[in-house]
Amino acid sequence: MASRLDGPLKVTGRATYGADNNFPGMVYGYVVVSTIANGEIEALDATAAKSAPGVIGVYSPFDPLDLRTARTPMFGETWVPLQNREVAYYGQPIGLVVARTFEQARDAAMAVEVSYVRRPALTSLAEGVATAEDAPPGRDGTPSSLSVLASGVESIEAALAASPVVVEATYTTATQNHAAMEPHSAVAVWDADGLTMYSGNQGANIQAMELASALDCEPSTVRSVNPFVGGAFGGKGRTSVAAFLAAAAARALDRPVKVVLSREQVFTATATRAATVQAMALGAARDGSLIAVRHDSWCSTAMDRSFVEPTSHGTSREWYATENLAISQKMVPLNIPPTTFMRAPGEAPGSFALESAVDELAIALDMDPIQLRLRNDSTAPPGKDLLWSSKHLDECFQLGAARFGWAHRSPHGRTEGDWLVGIGTATAMFPAIRFPATVGVTLRADDTAVVATSGADPGTGLLTVLSLVGAESLDITPDRVTPRLGDSALPPGGMSGGSTATASAGSAIMVAAAEVIDRLLDLASAPGAPFEGLEVSYADGQVLADGRVMTFGELLRAVKQESISATGSSAPGEELTKHSFSSFGAQFCEVRVHRLTREIRVSRMLGVFDAGRIINAELARSQIIGGMIWGVSAALHEGLEIERNGRLANGDFASYLLPVNADIPEVDVHFVEHPDTLHNAVGAKGIGEIGTVGMAAAVANAVHNATGIRVRHIPITIEDLLD
Amino acid sequence: MDISLEVNGRVEELSVDPGVTLLDALRERLGITGAKKGCDRGQCGACTVHVDGRPVLSCLTLAATVRRPVRTVDGLSAGDQLHPVQQAFVDQDALQCGFCTSGQIMSAVAAIEQGVEDVREFMSGNICRCAAYPNIVAAIEQARRADASL
Repeated sequence: MASRLDGPLKVTGRATYGADNNFPGMVYGYVVVSTIANGEIEALDATAAKSAPGVIGVYSPFDPLDLRTARTPMFGETWVPLQNREVAYYGQPIGLVVARTFEQARDAAMAVEVSYVRRPALTSLAEGVATAEDAPPGRDGTPSSLSVLASGVESIEAALAASPVVVEATYTTATQNHAAMEPHSAVAVWDADGLTMYSGNQGANIQAMELASALDCEPSTVRSVNPFVGGAFGGKGRTSVAAFLAAAAARALDRPVKVVLSREQVFTATATRAATVQAMALGAARDGSLIAVRHDSWCSTAMDRSFVEPTSHGTSREWYATENLAISQKMVPLNIPPTTFMRAPGEAPGSFALESAVDELAIALDMDPIQLRLRNDSTAPPGKDLLWSSKHLDECFQLGAARFGWAHRSPHGRTEGDWLVGIGTATAMFPAIRFPATVGVTLRADDTAVVATSGADPGTGLLTVLSLVGAESLDITPDRVTPRLGDSALPPGGMSGGSTATASAGSAIMVAAAEVIDRLLDLASAPGAPFEGLEVSYADGQVLADGRVMTFGELLRAVKQESISATGSSAPGEELTKHSFSSFGAQFCEVRVHRLTREIRVSRMLGVFDAGRIINAELARSQIIGGMIWGVSAALHEGLEIERNGRLANGDFASYLLPVNADIPEVDVHFVEHPDTLHNAVGAKGIGEIGTVGMAAAVANAVHNATGIRVRHIPITIEDLLD
Repeated sequence: MDISLEVNGRVEELSVDPGVTLLDALRERLGITGAKKGCDRGQCGACTVHVDGRPVLSCLTLAATVRRPVRTVDGLSAGDQLHPVQQAFVDQDALQCGFCTSGQIMSAVAAIEQGVEDVREFMSGNICRCAAYPNIVAAIEQARRADASL
């Protein structure tokens, strides 16, 4: 199996991330952030900052940079800083100090004096639930509240009342931050052709479009370069404040500007995953068949209401067969940093609630939790006619149960010395999606090929996937394919978000490869060419006819052409009218809770996934392991605590807990490979997010199995398990 | 103030404010960008380099205090020949986004040189948000075997 193509660059320090770029004459910007959560900036005294050593510019709402709200088809509107005096959250960017060195900019930023007209801040989701607003309809027009009822059933309450066994409980999940290791950073360089932006993000062409809109430039004059991205997870989808400010300051000062957010600023000046409250009710027959599912969701959102974490729509809407279903989504606008998509938005926190509730139902029914899940396995989402294109969830559970030793599970855990040991499971699902993508494929006279798309590889392995799918589509070995990625000058595609990149870019590669091979064959049989007038075919990187063979490189050299290129595009289409699409998985986890200290340790994990065809098993395994550990992190570590005044109590890496090496055991991953060519020609579905889904519930269910204590919020801490 | 730093075998003369960290001296003055700034507070380990053979957090080390030779990930390999730990990280896919990798590798080299027993504990000062932890442990085990066979 081919190893990660950019591995050698990353282990030698030669991979160049945004902030690794230095240019002659470059100066440094340091962002100033608000210290209130709601109000108006009354005055901003930059006198001391302006006279500090090395300072060459101080920008604020009183002396703004030339920016406007970015508007793109992909993201709609994206906020840009310094355009008015309103403050809507603590840690909001309100200024930029530019100086000759990083230290000078930072020190001068501390000298900026800001006074505010303060207004009371709303910062508590729990207190806001009573006055929550309905979430807006989804992009496809789906209303925030919907129900599917069997004929003759008047309401979900009636269906629940008629259910022999009912479990009802409310679950909550914490605010989280993507916390990619690379802080949002940008180096902006203007020249006669326009702007070149070096800034890690999830799709170079999308960042270029947002910047062009914000800077009011022709899109063709903005180039975004991101060959290496130090993690993203949804947090680098939209263009960062660092990039907007660096671009505008570099234009104003006519010199390169570097802006890097501090880690503390990343927690407030980018975006977070919303906190959620979820009220679940499951009604079942005595044999476990679901009769009714009710899932009411609330999430925090920023005052601009720009993102909703769709927990019930992301899970209960589709996961289990039930005749009666009612879901709702409300939002609570707060004076908190913006919320946005973060690895499995909706599905990750939603599955904590649903899969905990299913575990509670299994206990109420005195039924095995896997058996209960398989009893309610569905062939299509409730109330929809479109069958799942390919679903092998049952195989995931059966195989996982065997690998994990599920048959040895006791309903009340077991004891090993001072440790209470329990195991838990959960379903994982994540929709299989594609985004429009265009890829260029070039055959070169030296018998190599180039596969190029703008996109990004924030650690997902997309670069490696491009070479593998490219090689397969061109019928040559991967070492002859040079993948190119992370530059908006390349054909637009390969956005790394929504677990879509392999299916989207991969499908486009197949189209482009077929097209370039057609062109090659036309060239081969054209008048004066080596195969003039013959019926030619292509295989193994060679053109064949009448027993004669030439490699594509030989042919190109014979016709004195350096290369031949084609682009191919793919987008979701007719398949959406024929099937429902998802990846599936079964999560397993063993925890040990210390009898006295109540310390919780995860001791074993297994995930078995049905995600269609796996292009590179090694990289896929790595990505899934990462996702599963994210689930453990949500269950036992992560959670931003928001103080009454809107300040984050733990917005840094010392107190925002993330798992470290000693927290993580061996992780077992297995794929049941059923290529899903009804979804796309490559047969691959997404794996970037599904690893996270369900794992927090599997941990909580294991904790219950070990201790008998049901914790309905995450993160679970020692205090939750004290008697 | 004027200081001289020996980095990866080369002596560099530079003039810095006393408050400049070793990390910022390397990255912003010398253009040696292997070590990364993940937090600037000694909380993540991405900036780990060796000073006189010992792993240090270069974001918590003032450049002007460094008197001994500095080694960064940029100077670990000999030409195109990867250091055994670097090779093991590639072989075990012990990285995804790669941003923490420089620090992970410098800590891993120290773990092997110091012969630490509890690798997971020793490596717990280096956060990896992609969570390549099991593969990082596997890489260190591979490199240790390579080391033992020398």
